[in-house]
Amino acid sequence: MPLDTSPDTDDAALLARYGRGDAAAARSLTVRLVPRVHAQAYRMLGDTAEAEDVAQDAMMRLWKIAPDWREGEAQVSTWLFRVVANLCTDRLRKRRGGNVPLEDVAEPADPTPSVEVNLQTRARQDALRAALADLPERQRIAVAMRHFDGASNPEIAAALSISTEAVESLTARGKRALAHALKGQADALGYEG
Amino acid sequence: MTRPPDRRDEAAWLDEMLDDMAGADVPGPSADLMARVLADAVAQMPPPGGAPASVPLWRQIVRGLGGWSAVGGLVAAAATGFVVGLGGLETVGADALWLDTYYDSSSALDAFGWDYEEG
Repeated sequence: MPLDTSPDTDDAALLARYGRGDAAAARSLTVRLVPRVHAQAYRMLGDTAEAEDVAQDAMMRLWKIAPDWREGEAQVSTWLFRVVANLCTDRLRKRRGGNVPLEDVAEPADPTPSVEVNLQTRARQDALRAALADLPERQRIAVAMRHFDGASNPEIAAALSISTEAVESLTARGKRALAHALKGQADALGYEG
Repeated sequence: MTRPPDRRDEAAWLDEMLDDMAGADVPGPSADLMARVLADAVAQMPPPGGAPASVPLWRQIVRGLGGWSAVGGLVAAAATGFVVGLGGLETVGADALWLDTYYDSSSALDAFGWDYEEG
């Protein structure tokens, strides 16, 4: 896969070029965006194959919307973040069948230390993913953008079309809901004194 | 991950949990994924110059009828029919347009006056 041949061109301009039939723009966007999209999907799903499916699906939606994309209305990266977050949430909810309580997320059981650590890490991540999937969409995206993507308040505000001031409150509500959902498992997951 | 999850430092253990997740190793996308995404991009790519603009309904109708010359023929035929219709009115009278009882039975009886002549 060739490198990004237009590193100084922003995503929206590349997308506009793609919309006019520029194959080089498609290559640059692929190289630039797929690693980010895949990483986000992997963090939320914890499964390589599923993360790849989500990444391909999200990028397909981007290609399809390209001719109608209006520069200046939204950032391509934040639009994609939202698409990936929603695709992952759909998969997490299907995976859980909508009825499996958080308490049923696997806990570490293997006595071998390294395996135990791995299993515990896996259990923590699964529990967090399940709790994130249960958050309302805006809270989930705000928390994920802040903590997984390192996004600033203005970036989150732009992604969600809300004021910068509202981001703090939204993130705080999301984290309170996460804490409430996970507090019964925190001890078992190793977050204890 | 050393604090108890009580209410006071609820944010601390949750932040730690989120940070652990954020810092976990993430594999890079495979070459196969990159190739699939690029293949999708090429398949979905509009033709050079951009996608053709959408055609308004009225233009689709004109095109469906056979173009402007066909539409002109239709208009001419309709106008001719209208004029012929007006000419017919001169024969029967414009009142025929709104009178239901235009038909006069007496004129049928004395058609050409032959019935009177024959007694």
